[in-house]
Amino acid sequence: MPQNETIQDLGLDEYKYDFVTETEPVFRAEKGLSEEVVRQISAHKEEPEWMLEYRLKALDVYNSKPMPKWGGDLSSLEAVLDEIYFYVRPQDQMERSWDDVPDEIKNTFEKLGIPEAERKILAGVGAQYESEMVYHSLREEWAAQGVIFDSIEDGLKNHPELFREHFGTIIPMHDNKFAAMNSAVWSGGSFVYIPKGVSLDTPLQAYFRVNQERMGQFERTLIIIDEGAQAHYIEGCTAPVYTTESFHSGVIEIVVKKNARFRYTTIQNWSNNMYNLVTQRSMVHENATMEWLDGNLGSKLTMKYPSCYLIGEGAHGEIMSIAYAGDGQHQDTGGKVVHVAPHTTSSITSKSISKGTGRSTYRGLCKVHKGARHARSNVECDALLINDTSRTDTYPYIEIEENDASVGHEASVSKIGEEQLFYLASRGIAKDEAMAMIVRGFIEPIAKQLPLEYAVELNRLIEMEMEGSVG
Amino acid sequence: MASWIEVGPTSECPVGELKGVTADGSEIVLANFEGTIYAIADECSHEEFPLSDGELEGDEILCIYHGARFDCKTGKNLCIPATRPVKSFPVEVRAGQIYVDVS
Amino acid sequence: MAKAVAGMEGVTSALNPAAVERIGMSEPEWLRERRAHAWDVYERTPMPTIRLEEWRYTNLKKKLDLNSLQLSDAEAMSDDASTWPERLRAAMDEDREASGHIVIIDGHVVHADVDKQLATQGVILESLQEAITNHEELVREHLATDAVPAEEGKFAALNAALWSDGIFLYVPKGVQLELPVRVTRWLSEAGTAYFSRVLIVAEAQSQVSYVDEVLSDDFESQTYTSTAVELIAREGARVQYVAVQRLGRGAFYQSMQRTLAQRDSKLDTLNVALGASVTRVDLNARLLGPGANSDMLGLYFGDDDQHFDFNTSQDHVAEHTSSDLLYKGALDGASRAAFRGIIRVLPGAQGTDAYQTNRNLLLSPESRADSLPNLEIEADDVKCSHGATVGQLDDEAKFYLMSRGLSLIQAERLVVLGFLGEVLAKLPLGGVVDKVTRVIEQKLAQHG
Repeated sequence: MPQNETIQDLGLDEYKYDFVTETEPVFRAEKGLSEEVVRQISAHKEEPEWMLEYRLKALDVYNSKPMPKWGGDLSSLEAVLDEIYFYVRPQDQMERSWDDVPDEIKNTFEKLGIPEAERKILAGVGAQYESEMVYHSLREEWAAQGVIFDSIEDGLKNHPELFREHFGTIIPMHDNKFAAMNSAVWSGGSFVYIPKGVSLDTPLQAYFRVNQERMGQFERTLIIIDEGAQAHYIEGCTAPVYTTESFHSGVIEIVVKKNARFRYTTIQNWSNNMYNLVTQRSMVHENATMEWLDGNLGSKLTMKYPSCYLIGEGAHGEIMSIAYAGDGQHQDTGGKVVHVAPHTTSSITSKSISKGTGRSTYRGLCKVHKGARHARSNVECDALLINDTSRTDTYPYIEIEENDASVGHEASVSKIGEEQLFYLASRGIAKDEAMAMIVRGFIEPIAKQLPLEYAVELNRLIEMEMEGSVG
Repeated sequence: MASWIEVGPTSECPVGELKGVTADGSEIVLANFEGTIYAIADECSHEEFPLSDGELEGDEILCIYHGARFDCKTGKNLCIPATRPVKSFPVEVRAGQIYVDVS
Repeated sequence: MAKAVAGMEGVTSALNPAAVERIGMSEPEWLRERRAHAWDVYERTPMPTIRLEEWRYTNLKKKLDLNSLQLSDAEAMSDDASTWPERLRAAMDEDREASGHIVIIDGHVVHADVDKQLATQGVILESLQEAITNHEELVREHLATDAVPAEEGKFAALNAALWSDGIFLYVPKGVQLELPVRVTRWLSEAGTAYFSRVLIVAEAQSQVSYVDEVLSDDFESQTYTSTAVELIAREGARVQYVAVQRLGRGAFYQSMQRTLAQRDSKLDTLNVALGASVTRVDLNARLLGPGANSDMLGLYFGDDDQHFDFNTSQDHVAEHTSSDLLYKGALDGASRAAFRGIIRVLPGAQGTDAYQTNRNLLLSPESRADSLPNLEIEADDVKCSHGATVGQLDDEAKFYLMSRGLSLIQAERLVVLGFLGEVLAKLPLGGVVDKVTRVIEQKLAQHG
């Protein structure tokens, strides 16, 4: 079978991400979420008093908010949450250099397939292992330019004023139940500051993975792109497969100041027992551009809607989303653009693929506030269904309060055509491979926006997933 | 033309508290900041939820639904997700009774 | 005087169990039980708030004051057209050609006629109250059972408990009505709550068009009208339902509609909303047999502070069904429209074609439009798409027309008429197109 040869050539198989590395956590808080756990986390991180108070308040807010009734099925989540550890710290200190990184963790990266050369070249890698950054280095020239790429904990310690000025202002703890949870128990994540006028050519990359059974991961990232600066941040994650359900709830806050330009790329491939509930939001100032590129391939349920608040005149927001839902998976993703200032523009492009019993949902908001004169927004959603048991939903909210706005939304649903498959078969291409080709073509407009290595990995994943998808 | 509507005794809105009232068909939230009572529209400009379900923190009214904040004296929006102010109303206290001008 | 039951949402001095009993007093036992059951559902169901998706854009706390409403105590007017309100007669005169007429004034059916030849073929067109006596079994089978039962929600339950009269239209197998059935309604009592129902059963291979127009002057205090519309098309039947709402300001117009389309039937609807202060239409189209098709059309034109809320759904239950929805509106002044539509393709409904389009034209800086075109697709062999746009007048079209010598205002009117005309062109029923176009022209004359 030609397509199998191809996959073998690439050295991939279905169990690639299904491995477990033995590690000994140094400190692990008790199971479940309580005031005691929150106090322990804060004490362990030697945080200032205000942060402890913030966390405790957030815990109250979390407890006061009901479970969301929309989106994915969260009915068994409460039981899951009682069983998870909200904080695990694998090591006491941050590693200084690659040589100091424990072999076990290096092995993990090895298995993830990060090339040797890339590991060394990759500047400013904040790799998150378990609940915290354990490896962190920053290329020297960036440091000289005043770029900060720290763990979120170091951000709080080393840049307390900049941190406090922005932390929790873009996503208030009250925003939703899981933002409140994250605000109470956050641990790990990145703190990024790009100074005025600094332009980074190489993306900032943070690899991280969850590796402790029943451990929640509550990454918190705060990114500030100062006036006229440009940068690209990439977050990618894979997780080993476990039998009990797991949980990830991140909060990503981004400020893009006047004339700045920023792209945030996520490729999410959590194992298929993961609840992945993430709040991502950006505030985009005058003539600045924010781009979200969001790829959701893994997890049991993902609920994630990156958003752009276009608060400065001429601000531009862009959201590109790829979702793949295989058997038992539900990708409830999309994007939100809120036009607050005049002459703001935005676009959302979403491509989803549902296979087997998979379900992909696009949920989005396009809002034009009173005063946002001459706003323009365009939303396009395309869904591809592979099997008759697959499901797709589209829930766009369009709310327009200005008459000179120009807003359009289009969505379409289609299946892979028998004619396409027949044609490819007549060219000697086996069905599995033909499916993979069609799916690749379907997501190509977004995939081509990815850095090469991610695009290659995405294509490999699609080939793997399309194997055996036709009878 | 002022239109003063009596909305209840001061005892119902103690220091540091919020109180939702209706005055001539308008839903209003009263806020007692350091002994002075202020009134703004009881509807968050973000998703129209009642602000009176929220909390008064200093002189800020916090909408507990999504975390928007408003200045209780002016109705000014202080953070996202709210991007617009809410209406504020003049308040007077006479003989222990709160009056709001809804004109 | 029945006292409002404390803590029960929506139970008032007028709307309460005593009123339900009074209305059902001389009705058969099964109907009294149905009303009592509906009232139970009403009491148990909480009042919808903006926290419910379906009510996100209509805040009932602000828009509807049930406490202020009374039930109508008007006596039925006589079946003598000379005593009827002038505007009602004018509306009727605009399109005399019909297979039959019904006139409802303040909740009472005061006139019903049907073409004699059709009557001999078994066509029934009469007031629902009469139908309970004359065709009890048919009514009993269909009234608030399959289409709009009390369980639908708070307001469906309220209607099922308190309806006073309505329309029953039955078209026997194979009978085809060439001309539409025309219903004209008039409301006059400010501060009143009206509840009525429409039940249409079109048997296999039959054909009927039905036009229901409601009018009033402006009201000094809020006036509420609730209609439950049940449309059943059996195998191969063709049904067209048109509702034209031209109420005065102060009216809260609520219409809950469900269409049940069996194999190879075609069941089309058009909702035109021009008047009232608040319009809320819930329309659910169910495509139950292979080959069933529904075109769903909507048109609205708002000005001042008018509020429109359309909540539609297209349920593809059987395979090889199709539906096509087009709702278009123009909004002037500080008017506001919300459209929430959903296409549901149920598992197994292969070969579905379903489309949904909502387009809004904002004519003034104070107007507002919200649009939520949703899809839920659980079969893979489908063709589904939806689109929504919100924007202002097309400058190019305007400039083109002006270059042909039209004034700005003339050009704008033509563009708006062209924009809305697309909807009417899809269901060109005699009388309706002209009438609706005229009302829109009047509204446009006030614009700018």
